[in-house]
Amino acid sequence: MTNYNLKLTVQKKGLKFKMIQVEGLTKVFHDKKRGKVVAVNNLKFNCQKGQIFGLLGPNGAGKTTTLRILATMILPTKGKVKVNGFDVVKEPREVRKQIGFLSSETGLYDRFTPRETVMFFGRINGMEDKVIKKRTAEIFHSLDMEGFQDVRVNKLSTGMKQKLSIARSIIHNPPVLILDEPTVGLDIITARTVIEYVKNFRDQGKCIIYSTHIMQEAEKLCDMIAIIHQGNLIAQGTLTELKKNSSFNDLEEIFFELINQGEKLE
Amino acid sequence: MSWKNIKLIFTKELVGTIRDKRTIIAMIIIPLIFYPLLFAGIGYFSKVGSIKSEEATSKIMIYGAEFAPQLVKHLQDYEKIEVLTIEDDSPAKLQNGDIQAVLMVPPDFKYKIEREEPIKLILKYDTTEAKSRIAQKRVNQIIEEYKSEIILQRLSRLDLKEEFLTPLILQEENIATAEKMTGSFLALLLPYLIIILIFAGAMHTAVDITAGEKERGTIATLLVSQISRLEIVLGKCFAVMLISFTSMVLGLLGLALAFLSGASIAGGIEGVNFGISINTIFLLFLVLFPLVGLASAVLVMVGIFARNIREASSYITPIYMLTVLLGIVSVSQGMELTGNMFLVPVLNSSFVFKELLMGKIYWDHILTTFSANIIIAGIALFGATRLFNKEEVLFRS
Repeated sequence: MTNYNLKLTVQKKGLKFKMIQVEGLTKVFHDKKRGKVVAVNNLKFNCQKGQIFGLLGPNGAGKTTTLRILATMILPTKGKVKVNGFDVVKEPREVRKQIGFLSSETGLYDRFTPRETVMFFGRINGMEDKVIKKRTAEIFHSLDMEGFQDVRVNKLSTGMKQKLSIARSIIHNPPVLILDEPTVGLDIITARTVIEYVKNFRDQGKCIIYSTHIMQEAEKLCDMIAIIHQGNLIAQGTLTELKKNSSFNDLEEIFFELINQGEKLE
Repeated sequence: MSWKNIKLIFTKELVGTIRDKRTIIAMIIIPLIFYPLLFAGIGYFSKVGSIKSEEATSKIMIYGAEFAPQLVKHLQDYEKIEVLTIEDDSPAKLQNGDIQAVLMVPPDFKYKIEREEPIKLILKYDTTEAKSRIAQKRVNQIIEEYKSEIILQRLSRLDLKEEFLTPLILQEENIATAEKMTGSFLALLLPYLIIILIFAGAMHTAVDITAGEKERGTIATLLVSQISRLEIVLGKCFAVMLISFTSMVLGLLGLALAFLSGASIAGGIEGVNFGISINTIFLLFLVLFPLVGLASAVLVMVGIFARNIREASSYITPIYMLTVLLGIVSVSQGMELTGNMFLVPVLNSSFVFKELLMGKIYWDHILTTFSANIIIAGIALFGATRLFNKEEVLFRS
């Protein structure tokens, strides 16, 4: 299925710009009921600096597994994964310095204020208090969080919490952001705020890998899109490239076309 | 491993726990305020009740008063006794509480007194009624006095001294030290209380900062930081240890306060002399710390294994019950541990506590208990860290 060929143009900007390199990534789980489950099969992609790389796929496609491997939370069964040149298996601690991680499932500590939360995450990422304070002030200002920086999290609205989650994930100024469906469960206003910040981070030159199952989001946001289905990478390219290789002009249609072709091949 | 990182996690868990209202209620308000007030209340009402019964006059019905006028006079002379004349329905009145006791004097009273034969008097009273018990006590006292009077009269008639009746005097001397007496009193209850309080104090926090973090999705944010999993586990375990130890101390303090407030209001404490030496306290702590560590490590491990708080609680309930059971076994009288039995966690500590409180220091027991508990706590910590590294445990849903 991975043989399905789209003409992929690898942007040859040199290796140093490849912030995320994934090659032959495979993850096999052992499930009591289902037995051996191949969650991710032989993935290969690269993400670059100043780019939003979208992982697009339905639920259960393997997006979360891929991102958890990138974030060193779980180990790959096979394949090579490097983040800013560091190997996720051999140098997990270095990799963690390079990344900010945010998903729809990551929570916050209810009994702490935003200021305390960010201070804690700065410290556990090895930052000096002085640096944390300076950076907190900048982030809180840019995310417009000053009004509630000393209110405990359990008193905050969903939107405020999401801003804090973003602040928490970027306090150590990581060059790579790993965002796993960060807009799931948010109302449209909050979701839009999140998307605006993600764009902002790209403009600051960060490398962002962004998973979603929402076509419009991928269409609006992502510079590169990788479509995965049942653990396999079935297409990869810019939106323009994907359109060029398809008979459709709309990402949703392209998506279904690819899935159908993939299933026929199977 | 960096102590700085462990301290970061430790502090975070501690602050989070202290800010939890439930912790404050369970750790401070209930033991230090609620229990003493409750016991003071119980003490107060039982005292008020007993004062009322002590002050009340006992109404006593006498059958055959005419056969023993002198005895009746003795009773009448006592200011808190009212002697009533015969009525047919007196048993019913006794049951209603209208009268507090019925005394029956046989018709041959005078005859038997003169012939120096024993006379059987019958006193009917109701032991479930405080006032009736007091009446019984009063009548008993008066009868005893009257009896002594008669004996003295008889002795003097025979020209005998009072000492005639006491050929032997046994003077008993209790050689138990104050420490040992306190010890035997405390040894009955304290080991059990300590164990229960340690586990109960550790449970909530241990589950909240492990399974609770999984449930709230904050665990992933820790895993992608610069802190290693061993540091996370140690930081959490130390926080649980401190909370568990503090709630045990506060719990004991609260119970002591409750006991003292209840007892002093109800009418003073007698016979308990709180003498425990510094050495004993030091040794108690030496045995206590591995136990606190063991409880914390095991509960943290279970909490990490569980998917969510509910699952963790259901795993912990049987562990807690087992602990309670071991506690009960250890305080039961006559139970002795031998050699290898001191390797059994919880049970061993409980026995060593008991020995120490009785003033007995067996170094082999202390060292076996200390090392066994430290080793098991270490294994649990190792297990907890292993679980923390297992993706199927961390991310199962």
